[in-house]
Amino acid sequence: MSLRRGLVLGVLVVLAVVMLFPFLLVLLNALKSPADYTANGPLGLPESLYLQGIVDFWERVDFGLKLTNSTVIAGSVSVLAVLVSILTAYALGIGRVRGRVWIVAVFLLANLMPQEALVYPLYFLAKEADLYDTKLAVIIIFTAVQSAFGTYLLSSVLSTFPRELVEAARIDGAGRWQILWRVVVPICWPTLSVLLVFFFIWTWNEFFIPMIMLVSNDNQTVPVALGVLQGQRLMDATAQSASALLGILPAVVFFLIFQRTLTRGIAVGAIK
Amino acid sequence: MFTPGRLVAVMIATATVLTACGDDGDAAAGTELTLWHYESPDSAMGVAWNKAIEEFERTHDGVTVKFEEKGFEQIQKSAQMVLNSDEAPDLLEYNKGNATAGLLSKQGLLTDLSDVVTERGWDDKLSPSVQTTCKYDERGVMGGDRWFGVPNYAEYTMVYYNKDLFDQHGVAVPTSLDELTAAMDTFVDKGVTPLSVGAKEYPAQQILYQLALSKADSDWVRGFQQYDGEVDFHDQAWTYGAETFADWVEKGYLSQDSTGIDAESMGVAFMEGKFPMMISGSWWYGRVQSTVKDFAWDTFLFPGSDLALGSSGNLWVVPENSPNKELAYDFIDITMQPDIQALLGNSGGIPVAADVSAITDEPSRKLVENYQTLVERDGLGYYPDWPVPGYYDVLVSATQKLISGSASPHEVLGELAGPYEENLATIGS
Repeated sequence: MSLRRGLVLGVLVVLAVVMLFPFLLVLLNALKSPADYTANGPLGLPESLYLQGIVDFWERVDFGLKLTNSTVIAGSVSVLAVLVSILTAYALGIGRVRGRVWIVAVFLLANLMPQEALVYPLYFLAKEADLYDTKLAVIIIFTAVQSAFGTYLLSSVLSTFPRELVEAARIDGAGRWQILWRVVVPICWPTLSVLLVFFFIWTWNEFFIPMIMLVSNDNQTVPVALGVLQGQRLMDATAQSASALLGILPAVVFFLIFQRTLTRGIAVGAIK
Repeated sequence: MFTPGRLVAVMIATATVLTACGDDGDAAAGTELTLWHYESPDSAMGVAWNKAIEEFERTHDGVTVKFEEKGFEQIQKSAQMVLNSDEAPDLLEYNKGNATAGLLSKQGLLTDLSDVVTERGWDDKLSPSVQTTCKYDERGVMGGDRWFGVPNYAEYTMVYYNKDLFDQHGVAVPTSLDELTAAMDTFVDKGVTPLSVGAKEYPAQQILYQLALSKADSDWVRGFQQYDGEVDFHDQAWTYGAETFADWVEKGYLSQDSTGIDAESMGVAFMEGKFPMMISGSWWYGRVQSTVKDFAWDTFLFPGSDLALGSSGNLWVVPENSPNKELAYDFIDITMQPDIQALLGNSGGIPVAADVSAITDEPSRKLVENYQTLVERDGLGYYPDWPVPGYYDVLVSATQKLISGSASPHEVLGELAGPYEENLATIGS
């Protein structure tokens, strides 16, 4: 028994190391001076703690502003996309609208199409609507893209929602609106909170569309700012690691914080 | 705790924030010059252009420069869309070549600078082989009749060598191709691989092209790059290039493992002192200079060849939608002035219009002198991947086959000919 547990533990430790290795590499090289990197290669331990790379990058791209931009965009998208997903999935999963399979399929197109194919239409639409180079354009686009996935997931979750609960609420005199907010949403809260976290992180990491739509540096997001270091022919490995570290950290921090809060939220919802 | 009621409150709050961030006012024309480039602040161009910004603001009272540093990839991917909107900057650095500046000029997104160039005398400062990449015809092919860009700097390839390893093995700096081959034989005999090569990216194809260039002349280059005359991939130059390259692999001048090595690792391996030589471009110069402390190093032009890979650097282009074209011209003019050009040279770049005597930094002067030697013999051969969109990957695959020995030199040349001829048929349509 204990041998088996030891074996499982061993395998898990190996897996964890494999998973964490890229992050360790980034961390290692972010804290190295360029001279140290060339002398000892990417795998050597830093000779001394070198924070200048991180500081330089922060100042060079005005990272604080990029953090605010990314937070506003990813935050708005995750909340709005969850809201839209709830409404559409309520109609499709519980309302059982006719032809719902096809509706879901059409929604999914937004997710399945490569973003390169979407870029030109989006660009012309944004220009026509006078939204080119505004954060609002990116928020609208990603609310649609993320809620497409959200609709797909939530509608299949809601199609297995116990009909008895809906019936009971209706007999008690609740309207559709009340059933949604008083019955369905509290019970689905765990799923919704997971969606919220995913939407936030996915939107945070988006690169291509923000790069195309957000022209001026004042509107740029974190991943686009990281691209500044990628030169035409040369790359600066330590500066890039420093920037990658700054780029990953917020998403990880967000995940850690909200994981806690959201699990507590789930527990509360369950008792009700 | 999160409850549905709170959620709604959060949403309303978010919506309010959203409406607030929708608009940003445009700066008034004439008081602000929006400038984009993608050179890092400590590179030669970054240093020189920062100085130029100061100079511009000093000479233009009441005008500020709004500089935005961009990523190379961002400008490559989004330039066409940005320049077609009213968010276009007044002046930007853009990649030269048919598929980039040429394409934008064909689409009417760039300002025709021909009149300004003659008026301000920029054409007198630029040598003919540098001018080729600034001028495009109505098909968007370089070497045309209208100016669309102005370069500040140039680049070319050379041989970087490790002086310590040369001394240790009793090898002198080669002055002809035979001497270079003899030198590499000496290293191989002593168990040292002479060349650091990365065949996963551009370096290997540049060596192949360099070998072909050593048997070619500027008409050959014009034929290949500007679609001006017959191009035969089995002619003397190409055949010599591919066969010699295969021969070099066989003799062990470059390692067969190089197929898995990228350009970055090639440079790092040379800078760690593991290889006596590296054939690559001036873009490495500053980095080698600041990184290598453990051994003495220097460079020489590829021996036995009048031509070397190289061209003007990236271009200043003025978008057709720029509201401040005159200011943009003024800025370009400042960057062409002797003091800014000298600063560029002293910071490790290759200025296109500098007086060599103004370059006081010893290693930088060598770099600029070698460049001027090349220019005087009309020796810039551009790059092999320029003539055809997507040719870069074809060349990477071709050189990898030469290195692994999975295709003969003539088969490889056949592979290069296919896409080139297909592209030729569609030029200008």
